[in-house]
Amino acid sequence: MRLWKAALLMNLALLCGVGWGYLFWGVRADRLARELEAGRTGPATLGAERVYEVTGVVRATLPDLDVVVVTHDEIPGYMPAMTMGFRAATPEILHSVQAGDAVRFTLRGTLPSLAITALEKIAPRVGAAEDGRP
Amino acid sequence: MAGITELLGLTVRWAHLTTSILLVGSAAVLLLAGPSDRPTARRWDVRVAAAARWLVLLALATALASVAYQTAVLEDRATAALEPAALARFLLETRGGTVWLLRGSLLVLLGVFVALPADIRRRADWRAARGQALFLALGALMLVAAAGHAAAVDPGTAIAVAADAAHLLAAGLWIGALPALALLLVVTARPDGADARPYAVRLARRFSRVALGLVAALALSGVVSASAQIGSVAGLLGTPHGRLLLLKLGIFATMLAVAVLNRRLLPALGGEAATVGRPAMRRLSRLVTVEAGLALLALVIVALMIVTPPARHEQPTWPLAFRLSLEALTFSPDARARTLVGSQVTVLGLVAVLASWPVRRLRLPLAAGGLVVALAGGAIALPPLAVDAYPTTYRRPEVAYHASSIAEGARLYADGCAVCHGPEGGGDGPAAAGLHPRPPDLRAHHANLHTAGDLFWWITTGLGPMPAFGDRLAPEERWHVINFVRALAAADSARLLGPVVERDRPWLVAPDFAFAVGPTAARALKDYRGQRIVLVVLYTLPASRTRLAELAQHYGTLSTLGVEVIAVPTDAAPDALHRLGDEPPWILFPVVTEGAREIVRTYRLLSPAPHAEFLVDRQGYLRAITGALGDASRQINLLLAEVQTLNEERPAPPPDEHVH
Repeated sequence: MRLWKAALLMNLALLCGVGWGYLFWGVRADRLARELEAGRTGPATLGAERVYEVTGVVRATLPDLDVVVVTHDEIPGYMPAMTMGFRAATPEILHSVQAGDAVRFTLRGTLPSLAITALEKIAPRVGAAEDGRP
Repeated sequence: MAGITELLGLTVRWAHLTTSILLVGSAAVLLLAGPSDRPTARRWDVRVAAAARWLVLLALATALASVAYQTAVLEDRATAALEPAALARFLLETRGGTVWLLRGSLLVLLGVFVALPADIRRRADWRAARGQALFLALGALMLVAAAGHAAAVDPGTAIAVAADAAHLLAAGLWIGALPALALLLVVTARPDGADARPYAVRLARRFSRVALGLVAALALSGVVSASAQIGSVAGLLGTPHGRLLLLKLGIFATMLAVAVLNRRLLPALGGEAATVGRPAMRRLSRLVTVEAGLALLALVIVALMIVTPPARHEQPTWPLAFRLSLEALTFSPDARARTLVGSQVTVLGLVAVLASWPVRRLRLPLAAGGLVVALAGGAIALPPLAVDAYPTTYRRPEVAYHASSIAEGARLYADGCAVCHGPEGGGDGPAAAGLHPRPPDLRAHHANLHTAGDLFWWITTGLGPMPAFGDRLAPEERWHVINFVRALAAADSARLLGPVVERDRPWLVAPDFAFAVGPTAARALKDYRGQRIVLVVLYTLPASRTRLAELAQHYGTLSTLGVEVIAVPTDAAPDALHRLGDEPPWILFPVVTEGAREIVRTYRLLSPAPHAEFLVDRQGYLRAITGALGDASRQINLLLAEVQTLNEERPAPPPDEHVH
């Protein structure tokens, strides 16, 4: 074969190789993105009962609505950290806390109606006693 | 032992870089020269092609050695260099290894291509042979940019890698071609090589023309790379990487001077006639050999730079006793006038130098005179800009400008500095009267003339009657004190901030702080940057209760306008939420239960009132301070108006995390 033909074939082969590598990388990146999304939101089975353990501090109670307003940490796979109200499943839960209590509670139910089914007060963080240093 | 392995690793990297560049250059020079029927030229062509085969083998061998060395370094054990599993991990799972794999395959392809005996008598085949070799070698060389220091620049990776690749391209084509060119010139300078002299001169002329563009590309891409990797004069003069670059630039300047000499020689070498004189050829060949030798030396410096951390990651050690600073002019109008006059004189001199280029007669006197005038202008303009400098002048603080650092600095300052410098830095401490000279006011405006590094030097080694604290305070503690001193100055100038926001004039950085509400995860003020305006409220019960209730009532409106309110109890009580109670209106914005002590200690410097509100914009600058509790309804409308002003502004660049 003439040399220039051989060189041309080699370049075409290189081009195909680069193209294949690019497509392969694209497919891989797509698969990784999908895995990441699935991992972040958790198994997406609607209709199944969800259970979450949440840590937070009570800001207010609304007895007329059975709602406890809490500043809570991020609930992985559900919502980021925020201040919002949750329905208390029983009146005892509602009356057991007041504004300022540090709590850990269980959120249970099927979307979109989740409610607090269990709640316990927790001690403030170690070292927060006198000087407020985190 | 470790030194020898490092030297070995360095030698292998240098050898690989040199062979890669020589492959590119020799293919390019053969292509540029074109085929010839003169026997000497043909012999030279064959010799360079044969050398290319050895170069590919050497490049592949050094590539393997480099990969083994890097694997051993990454896994931190020497035996990893010989383990197939470790090598596979490096080659497949790291970016650097993948780039080595790609380059290695290109080099293998190149090796196969040059090793094949091929019939290159026809012109198309000859061109294909040389062109394909150049193409593969260039690909292998330019891929180095994807795994070098430029690939680690973020943001701006694409530009940095492109500049690096362009630099490699220009270097390969210019530097790599010099040895082959020198060989041809040496061979034709001999009496038995005279038949190919016109061929050699033609090549030299073509190369000289192309080299002009290549040198420009080299310089431009070098400037872009240097600004990304070094970024400042301090980095250039004060770090090993920067000093290596200065050395490389020196060699480059010498090579340029030699190249200019070569250009001057070329017209004298006559036309196509085979009567090109031997002495002229000898002179040219000698100069090009010198250039080639300098190029190889420059590559040694480049290999050293590859293994040195880039200057922007290192703390520079300033080598001179002075530095030039434009801020020195702000305090002396005479100095300003002098610098202005001197700069005009310099411009005049430079114009004369530039004007000497097109002029034929009087070129040398004009250029020399212009240079002298420019230097004289520099001698007039520069001395007023000189300020004292120390080795740590350009050190960046190791601790961020954060409330915890400022609070710790306040404690250290009260223990060891307040006795002379006074409780607020005014130079009015109990022991100050007996000192000569008296301690300066640390809050004065001209304190900004000194960098944080200057302060670090003085604290470490002392100044005049001030003792050296280098033994008593750890470096981190010294930076805490410096953060506190900067906060004192900030507090002094915070008196200029009122409750009204000055549009488009952010200048005071709000100290960052960490806080937590109850048991939830800790957050930082910095987290709100780029997203929300923050109103930091230092409150004292019971006086602040009505104001807090008012803020709670309007919290919805404030949130819609993009404001977050962070309330900090001045008594730093951990049960602050209990004390606020749960009667409506409920206070639902963050109330700090952990971290309040440091926040109060820092922000009290900026306003001592028992209730103070600090409006921080989205970039982290403090824009308004309200101290007194006035008429409630008027105040909330004023607050909303200031928030709207901030919302209408164009965003400014965010402040640095460290003091200067």
